[in-house]
Amino acid sequence: MGRIRFRKRNIPALFFIYLAAFIVFFVSVFPFCWMLSTSFKRPEDTFTSVPKLIPPQFTLENYRRAFQDTLLGRYFVNSIYVASIVTLTGIVLSTLAAYGFSRFRFPGRKACLLFILCIQMLPSVVIIIPLFIVMRNLNALNNHWSLLVSYPTFTLPLSVWMLKGFFDEIPREMEEVAQIDGCSVPAAFFRVILPLTLPGITASGIYAFIGAWNEFLFAMTFLNSHELYTMPVGLNAFFGQFTVEWNQLMAASVFFTIPSLIFFMLVRKYLARGMAGGALKG
Amino acid sequence: MQKPMRMEDLKGWEPAFWLAWKKYRLAYAFVLPALIAIGLVILYPLFSVVVTSFERYHLLEILTKGPTYIGFANYVEILKDPEFWYSLGITMYFTAACVILTILAGLAVALLLNLEFPGHKVLSVAILIPWVMPRVASSILWKWIYDDQFGILNYLLTLLGFKGMASYAWLAHTSSALWAVIIVVVWQSFPFIAVSLLAALQSIPAELYEAAMIDGASPWQRLRFITLPLLRNLLGVLTVISTIWDFKAFDQMWVLTEGGPAGGTMILGIHTWMNAFAYLRMGRASALAVIMLLLVTAITLFYLKIFNREEE
Repeated sequence: MGRIRFRKRNIPALFFIYLAAFIVFFVSVFPFCWMLSTSFKRPEDTFTSVPKLIPPQFTLENYRRAFQDTLLGRYFVNSIYVASIVTLTGIVLSTLAAYGFSRFRFPGRKACLLFILCIQMLPSVVIIIPLFIVMRNLNALNNHWSLLVSYPTFTLPLSVWMLKGFFDEIPREMEEVAQIDGCSVPAAFFRVILPLTLPGITASGIYAFIGAWNEFLFAMTFLNSHELYTMPVGLNAFFGQFTVEWNQLMAASVFFTIPSLIFFMLVRKYLARGMAGGALKG
Repeated sequence: MQKPMRMEDLKGWEPAFWLAWKKYRLAYAFVLPALIAIGLVILYPLFSVVVTSFERYHLLEILTKGPTYIGFANYVEILKDPEFWYSLGITMYFTAACVILTILAGLAVALLLNLEFPGHKVLSVAILIPWVMPRVASSILWKWIYDDQFGILNYLLTLLGFKGMASYAWLAHTSSALWAVIIVVVWQSFPFIAVSLLAALQSIPAELYEAAMIDGASPWQRLRFITLPLLRNLLGVLTVISTIWDFKAFDQMWVLTEGGPAGGTMILGIHTWMNAFAYLRMGRASALAVIMLLLVTAITLFYLKIFNREEE
């Protein structure tokens, strides 16, 4: 079922399919390869009239200098710190809420679910102004707290919807059996349901992590000292310098992309389910 | 003097409320922590942005005299401001171009991946790369690709025979800068559309196509009369989701152009942000934010209509 077969001997068709496949492949992969290539090149091999994809002289110097001459290491630690805390608190809140929405029928359930779905449509620019005023009044500007508080605005709604989908798939009989055996509702949740949905919880946690890892607007607005910058803001600040060190910047970008890449590949098989909630892409 | 409260006074509402709470206590215990968090970081700011939009709230004056209520003055000023109308126009143009190109590219790639040719698996992983890269990382990368002197794009274009493009500064001209960002946004979003559509394509029974082929339908007719009608609902949903995402795009535009050159790519998101954090006109920026919110709500209502239809 599904995939369309075609006759193997249809040479013109095969030619056009491979031509199209090559174009799609090139467009998707080439920019990434170009980033890798630039990050491993010496500056004198970068600024030439005939660019080369394979570095003539392979070097790790750009990575070394990116870490030594800039605060890249600091940005990395900040990003890990912020994203981890946002992910952990998000997992707790959204797992409980998703279970509640999946298993109980109560007044206001549908309205809350629709509201949570709608939140994903909110442009960050809309809530960033009042959040900025609140943070200023609380003296939380230029402090990681401002990010820890504001990132759930985009991680929570996605996680709740995604996890609700996972809980919906587990038959209710699972808890009923546990309850007949003498478990209370919370005990059945923690001992029976939670272990079963652990892969789903991990997947939604990873999405939250990637979302927080990539976030730019809040971090740019709320932070202004370089020591506190997260990766995206820190990398963008490279442009403030007099000349742009493209080699170092590409090395830093590779370093910024790798965690996202690894995590994404881990949750690839859950992609389709995350989409059911209607909003991935951070 | 306050009258002492008696139990009878409470009879009307308290027991019903209390009973509901007791009955659903467990459900609310699960759901409330998240709802409270959302209320604090989303509902309150939403409420507060509407209030601020009716105030004169300049970040420098606020230290000395506090905000003053000025009614609809912020909105009137915005509607009289040609910059706003220019920004709205650019935003609509940008959003429409991104959505149309993303959907078309996504659909084309999905149809391609649905064919069984050797290598389709490799391709289906390869197309995820643009989606996986952090938005800011790929915007920086594309800025390097677009570089006028040493950018690979101009080099490839000269190889293809466009000699005039040898040192064209893509981000220094309004129209090409806007298209440069559109290309980046489309590049980042087409994989999501393609993967979603591919999943739907694969659930279409092959018998439908076989029957059509026996009846002599051409590939174009099979696409037009079988595939597209079956994908219609999903395509609708994806179009609306893309519209909302592209309407609120900020990072790519900020990293690539910062709304420049000379305000030429100042989409609404950046226009609002600049008013708030560059000119410190919080009241005016809040009014702009409310206008953006109304526009997104209009799109969202449309989305909910589709969503509800599918639920039934």
